[in-house]
Amino acid sequence: MGLIDRARIYSPWVYHFHCGGCNGCDIETLAALAPRFDAERFGIQLVASPRHADILITTGCVPKQFIPMIKRVYKQTPDPKVVVAIGGCACGGSLFYDEDPENYAILGSPDLLIPVDVYVPGCAPKPEQIINGIVQGILKLNEKATRGKK
Amino acid sequence: MSTHIKILKQVLQKYSSPMTLNYPSGVDKNRMYSQIPEGLRGFIERDEEKCVGCRACYMVCSGRATKIFDTAEKRTVQVFHFRCTYCAHCEECCPEEAIKMSKKFELTVTDKNDPKAYVNTDLKMISCKACNRPYLPEKMQKRVFERLSEKIDPKVKGIVVEDYHKTEGFCPDCKRARGVMLDTHTKKHVWLEVV
Repeated sequence: MGLIDRARIYSPWVYHFHCGGCNGCDIETLAALAPRFDAERFGIQLVASPRHADILITTGCVPKQFIPMIKRVYKQTPDPKVVVAIGGCACGGSLFYDEDPENYAILGSPDLLIPVDVYVPGCAPKPEQIINGIVQGILKLNEKATRGKK
Repeated sequence: MSTHIKILKQVLQKYSSPMTLNYPSGVDKNRMYSQIPEGLRGFIERDEEKCVGCRACYMVCSGRATKIFDTAEKRTVQVFHFRCTYCAHCEECCPEEAIKMSKKFELTVTDKNDPKAYVNTDLKMISCKACNRPYLPEKMQKRVFERLSEKIDPKVKGIVVEDYHKTEGFCPDCKRARGVMLDTHTKKHVWLEVV
């Protein structure tokens, strides 16, 4: 493992990306980063731009107006990248997802548009669960970085 | 009042030990491992022996997480954790008390089709004698008869049980079609009282 890979795994930067929904999972995500649960123990830092991020945390379901933005943010994130979907809406669409008839405003979960690596179900998930998901994401990032080299 | 004392205790503890929960490791005894409140609703657990497949949980599910798949041999009652909102309506309405909200909340999966994300219960179906259509789980038919014979008025019990055995094995449509032939009207006992 090279120096850059080591640095990436021990200090992954996180971009918190809210797609839509009720904001419950955002509050829990921020609680997970705050001192009570302290996900920053793992070297995580919340960044303001997807261009700096290694891990993309998506919360909430995707409204149809938001489709171009989510695609753009995913493209802006540099490789290797990991997408962690947090909450029931981001995993399976939850309350807002309709199969038949289709919902006129809301598409469903972001994994219909971008590849999602780790799913953290819950409505809203506990901060412990989010820490669990982020750690899984870091492991996945390690896997991807080593695979990309070969 | 007791909750106030609890909170006060926690606040005082903060001055003696670090505030961060000891979540993934759980080694330090001075720190709390995880905060699990009393009424926490976690993932649902279904008792496979108690469940009869009556569709009550499917009818009330607000997030459409509960789904029912019928085939000729079996009925599968499925809960998809990704779409579940932990409202516990299914626990409330379950007539057999088969569904319980557990305190488990840790689940991270990397694949949507992971069996960990689903709760499945398979039930054997019975087919109609006349039209060969699967219409009811075997267990449910048994349980319905048990509950019926418990609650029914003893005056009309004989007639109802007799009629039940006459139409046993027919699906609701075929039962209705054979109502006159087999002399099984639902309000028969009411007429008897009038006469």
